[in-house]
Amino acid sequence: MAEALLEIKNLRKSYGDFEAVKGVSFSVKKGEVFGILGPNGAGKTTTLEMIEGMRPITSGTAVIDGLDVAKQPYAVKERIGIQLQASAFFPNLSLVELLDLFNDLYAESSDPMQLLKEVELAEKARSMVKDLSGGQKQRFSIATTLVNKPVAIFLDEPTTGLDPQARRNLWDLVAQIKKKGTTVILTTHYMEEAQVLCDRIAIMDQGKIIAEGTPTALINQLLGRGFKPKRTVAPATLEDVFIDLTGKALRD
Amino acid sequence: MHLSTNTIIIGAVVILVLARLAWRLMHRGRPAEGKPRVRRPTKHRWLRSVTSLTVASTKMYFRNRSAVFFTLFLPLAFIGIFGLLSKSSTPAMKLDVTNHSSAELSKNVVSALKQVGAFNITETSESSAREQLSKGKIDLQVIIPADFGSINAKTHQFETSNIITHYNAANPGTGQTANLILGQILAKFNDSVTRTPQIINLQSSGVKTNNLGEIDFLLPGILGMTIMQLGIFSVAFAFVSMKTTGMLRRIQATPTHPVNFVLAQAITRLLIGILDVVMLVGLGVWIFGFHMVGNFAEFMLFGVIGTIVFLAFGFAVAGYAKDENSAAPIANLLSFPMLLLSGVFFPADGFPSWLKDVTSHFPLTYLVDALRSIANLGTPITQLTGDLVGLLVWGVVMFFVAVRLFRWE
Repeated sequence: MAEALLEIKNLRKSYGDFEAVKGVSFSVKKGEVFGILGPNGAGKTTTLEMIEGMRPITSGTAVIDGLDVAKQPYAVKERIGIQLQASAFFPNLSLVELLDLFNDLYAESSDPMQLLKEVELAEKARSMVKDLSGGQKQRFSIATTLVNKPVAIFLDEPTTGLDPQARRNLWDLVAQIKKKGTTVILTTHYMEEAQVLCDRIAIMDQGKIIAEGTPTALINQLLGRGFKPKRTVAPATLEDVFIDLTGKALRD
Repeated sequence: MHLSTNTIIIGAVVILVLARLAWRLMHRGRPAEGKPRVRRPTKHRWLRSVTSLTVASTKMYFRNRSAVFFTLFLPLAFIGIFGLLSKSSTPAMKLDVTNHSSAELSKNVVSALKQVGAFNITETSESSAREQLSKGKIDLQVIIPADFGSINAKTHQFETSNIITHYNAANPGTGQTANLILGQILAKFNDSVTRTPQIINLQSSGVKTNNLGEIDFLLPGILGMTIMQLGIFSVAFAFVSMKTTGMLRRIQATPTHPVNFVLAQAITRLLIGILDVVMLVGLGVWIFGFHMVGNFAEFMLFGVIGTIVFLAFGFAVAGYAKDENSAAPIANLLSFPMLLLSGVFFPADGFPSWLKDVTSHFPLTYLVDALRSIANLGTPITQLTGDLVGLLVWGVVMFFVAVRLFRWE
């Protein structure tokens, strides 16, 4: 078994009387894609932000690559890449200028053009973020997380609001990043996405993890409990029809 | 007041070159494609972060047209319009002089006044001058009393005497300026008439010129206003928008301390402030006949201190406000009273004394007073401690208010 890169134990977050995250524990192995699934308000983003060192932890511990997040948030931030849910960048700076800025913030010297090539935005190098499409914005946002050659990147709902083509394109990108050995922790609303991308998932509801495992194991558990789908699933979905009709080519 | 065709042409060329430079800065993207920047790893991570953030925020500033318009172009336009207006419509200040004295000295004073290019002197009776003044036909009424220039029988020296002036309350700016020039001429007379320093009751130290005009009153005022707008508005809006759109959070997701970002924002505004001072004074002197009588370094020092003080105001607003909608009214509420009451466009002399007691403590009042004293009268900084202390107290107080109110989200 690969060693655990991320170890979360009994993580809690309270706002006054309200407990947003009620004791979450899980671990992520090196090189894995780990998905946190759950409805809105389940506490996915809060959990993620506590792990990233973006939000104070009420109790419990989060250890990344041997570093305690609560004690060394800056050291942790040097080793990880963070994509926030609402990704905004400075206006009036080109993509290359922004990547140069991020280089400086991390005291790194990655080649901006190489990063842009990796996310298929090389020809947009001199554009501003505001002139990019939704899918391009998300890809650029991921490029900024790769500046410091992180051990793990955190993607908070990277495909929300994207059209099917752009979503599939982003899946390819995540798969590429995984191939290079970078651990990916992401949240999503889309079960299909989790099934395609994630090695393991945790399902959260009301601040708790209610199920954890590989997608196949979780499906088998459900079937084992005697679950029958309401109707037999067609061998193709409407999304398959859509992609077949409109093609896989990106529309941005 | 000398505006030759040559200076206009040279000035226009300079403005065009500056505009071209600004345009290139505003223009998107990097100038050259190709080789990535090679950077040596540095031990000074902090310095690298702050420098890079400063460069980024300066680029953003120059590419933001409305910011450039309000803090660089608009003040220039103000100076340009007022400068040209004050030249074409009011070529000279009109003074009516009534000389009740028959002494030789009084005649010398009158003829000295007539030699001032900016003055248009008419000798007339006191009552006719009063009438002209009340109709707004003249800017200043000057009355030389009968005992002016009389000689004390015992000491064989001139008696101390007061010259009385009345200015047009409807146009106090010009009257005040005329008064100032008059004061300087009289001071020179004091100097020449007697060597006993007790009788000199007007200061004339460091005064190189006595041709002060409307532009000399307006330019420091407009500069003060610009510095205030720069500090309060440009910081408040830029920062609040970075807060609401999540850009600030993205910076917080990197190992850079967010204070570095605040620092970079402040440094950029300081640079713009310095640019404003250089640009307005430079073009003012060059094209509009502005007089920098005092020490420019001290003038600049006050500009920089003023920028820092108003930056503290701006960060207090930016830190407190949740979004643009709450930032705008607060920023306006702070800046508007100062804009009207701090003597930017007209002197505060006409205000009732209770109001003056309040407005004289406004930070903009301190700033504009100091800038005006240095530029118009050549007052050294050692005699401006009141303004300096006033500004510093505001700066320290607002710094703590800003720290106290600050919210990152």
